[in-house]
Amino acid sequence: MLKGHAITKVFNRGTINQKLALDGVDIHLKQGEFVTVIGSNGAGKTTLLNSLAGNFFLDNGKLILAGNDITKLPRHKRANLISRVFQDPMLGTAAAMTIEENMVIALRRGLTRRLRKAITTKDRNLFREELCKLGLGLENRLTNKVSLLSGGQRQALTLLMATLREPKLLLLDEHTAALDPKTAEKVLDLTVRVQDEYKLTTFMVTHNLTHALEYGNRTIMMHEGRIILDIKEEERRDMTVARLLKMFEKASGTLMNNDRMMLV
Amino acid sequence: MEQIIIGTLEQGFMYAIMVLGVYLTFRVLDYADLTVDGSFTLGAAITATLITSGVNPWIATGMAVVGGSLAGVFTGILHAKFKITPLLSGILTMTALYSINLRVMGKANISLLRARTIFTDFANLPFMDKYSVLILTVIAVIVCCIFLYLFLRTEFGLAVRATGDNEEMIVSQGVNTQLVKIIGLSLSNGMVAFAGSFVAQNQQFADVGMGIGMIIVGLASVIIGEALIGNSSVGRTIIAVVFGAVVYRAVIALVLQLGLPPTDLKLVTAFIVIIALISPDLKQNLGRSGIWIKSRGKEG
Repeated sequence: MLKGHAITKVFNRGTINQKLALDGVDIHLKQGEFVTVIGSNGAGKTTLLNSLAGNFFLDNGKLILAGNDITKLPRHKRANLISRVFQDPMLGTAAAMTIEENMVIALRRGLTRRLRKAITTKDRNLFREELCKLGLGLENRLTNKVSLLSGGQRQALTLLMATLREPKLLLLDEHTAALDPKTAEKVLDLTVRVQDEYKLTTFMVTHNLTHALEYGNRTIMMHEGRIILDIKEEERRDMTVARLLKMFEKASGTLMNNDRMMLV
Repeated sequence: MEQIIIGTLEQGFMYAIMVLGVYLTFRVLDYADLTVDGSFTLGAAITATLITSGVNPWIATGMAVVGGSLAGVFTGILHAKFKITPLLSGILTMTALYSINLRVMGKANISLLRARTIFTDFANLPFMDKYSVLILTVIAVIVCCIFLYLFLRTEFGLAVRATGDNEEMIVSQGVNTQLVKIIGLSLSNGMVAFAGSFVAQNQQFADVGMGIGMIIVGLASVIIGEALIGNSSVGRTIIAVVFGAVVYRAVIALVLQLGLPPTDLKLVTAFIVIIALISPDLKQNLGRSGIWIKSRGKEG
C-alpha cells in the first residue's frame, strides 16, 4: 500500500543547527497493516509521519501510496488518500463550527468543495448513526459547537471524521498523549475498532511501549533518523517491553532516552 | 428630524454592505484586511468615471464590484503566494490603490451632480417618492445578506469558515487555503467597492480621500453589532453587523447634532473602536463591582 524509499530530510541545511532528521528511511506497509512507531527523543518518528502527510517535501527519496507517486504532492492534495489525527485534540476540528459542519467537511475530504448547500438530511442521518457508535451521546448534539466538547470527545470525533471517507493511509500522531489515561484507553479502543472495520493501513506514533506492542500487528523502532528495529508476526507475539528495551540498546548502542516514554 | 432619521438609515444600510465585506475577512477568515480603504474608493472612482463618460450607471456599479474584487485578489496573492503578512499585504494594496484611484478618476474628485445614477433611475419608477434611496439600499443589503448567508453554508463556504477557524485542520481535509483566502478577499473587497459605488452615487461625488479610515468604520460596526445582537450563529452575526453599521451611523449623526465638526469624525470613530475593544475588560470590572449585571459571553 505504502512504499517509502530512501526518505531523507535535513533540517536547517547549511546552518550550525543542521540536523539529519530522516536518514534514508525505507518503509513498506502492506494493505491493512497497523504499524506502531516508537523511539527516543528526536529519533524522527513524528518527522517521518509529517513527511508522509506532506508537511514538507523530501530532500531525497520517493513515496508511493496506493500506486500514486505522492512525493511532490502538497499536503492538501494528499488529503484525498490520507487521514490524520493530531496529538493536540484542538487541531483536528474547527472549534467555532458545529459538529455536523465539521463532519460534512470531513465527508468531502480531498474532494472539490462545491457551491451547494453543505448539509443534507441524508448526511445528518449518517452522522447520527456514526456518532451513535462512539457512545458519547454526541448524536443528539449535531448543532453544538465543537468548542463545547472535551478534549477526549474532540479526539474521538476527529478519529470518526478521519474514517468518514475511507483513507488509504491513517496517520495517528501520539493521538492519545494529551488525554487522561481513561479517555486515552477509550480513544485507543475506538482506534482499534475503526482500523479493524475498514482494515485501514495505519501508522501510529506512540510514546507508550505497552501500547506499541498491544495494538497493531507490527512495531518499528527509530533512532537518529533511521529504522533500527522492525518487529512483526511471531517475534512480536512473544515480545515484552523489557526485551524490547534490550533490543533497542543493542541496536542503537545507547539507552532509550525519551522523557515522555511510558514503560507500562 | 425625519430627514435626519432617514438620512441615517440610508447611510447606515449603504455602509452595511461594506461592513458585510469586512465581516467576511475580519471575522470569518480571521484576516485584518486593510485593502478596504483603497477598494472602497476604487468602487466610487470607477463608478463616477464611467457614469461621467456616459456608461449606464447599473453597468458602472457592476464594474465597481469587479474592480474591488480584483484589488482583493491582488492582496490575496501577496499574502498567499508571497507570504507577506496579512496586515502588510493590505497596506501595500491600499497604498498602490491611492495612485490607481487618482489615475482612474484623472483628478482628485468627480462630481455626479445631475448625472444619471442608479438612484435617479430607481426614483423614476412608479410609486417612488422620497424613500426611493432607502428602499434601493435596503434591497441591496438584503441581497448581500442572503448571498453571504447562503454562501457560508455551501461546501465551499464551510471551507472558508474553517480556514479562518483552524487552518491546520482544513488543510489536512484537502482544502487549498491559499485559494480560499484569495477568493474570500476578492468577495469581501467586491462588496466594499459595491458600497463605495452606492455612497458615491448617493452623495453625487467621488473623492480620492473618501475611503480613508473605512476599515475602522467597518471594525467599529462589526464589534458594535456583535456586542448588541451576538454572534452565536452565522445568520445572527450577519444581522448583527448590519445592525451595527446602522447604530454606528446613528452615533455619528448624534455626535454631529451635538455640534462637533465633521472633521472630528475619524477621532470619534477611533474612540468607538477603542472603547469597544477594551469593553470586555470594562464589563468584567463593572461586573465585579456589581454595576454590570449580565456580561455577554463571547467566544475566543
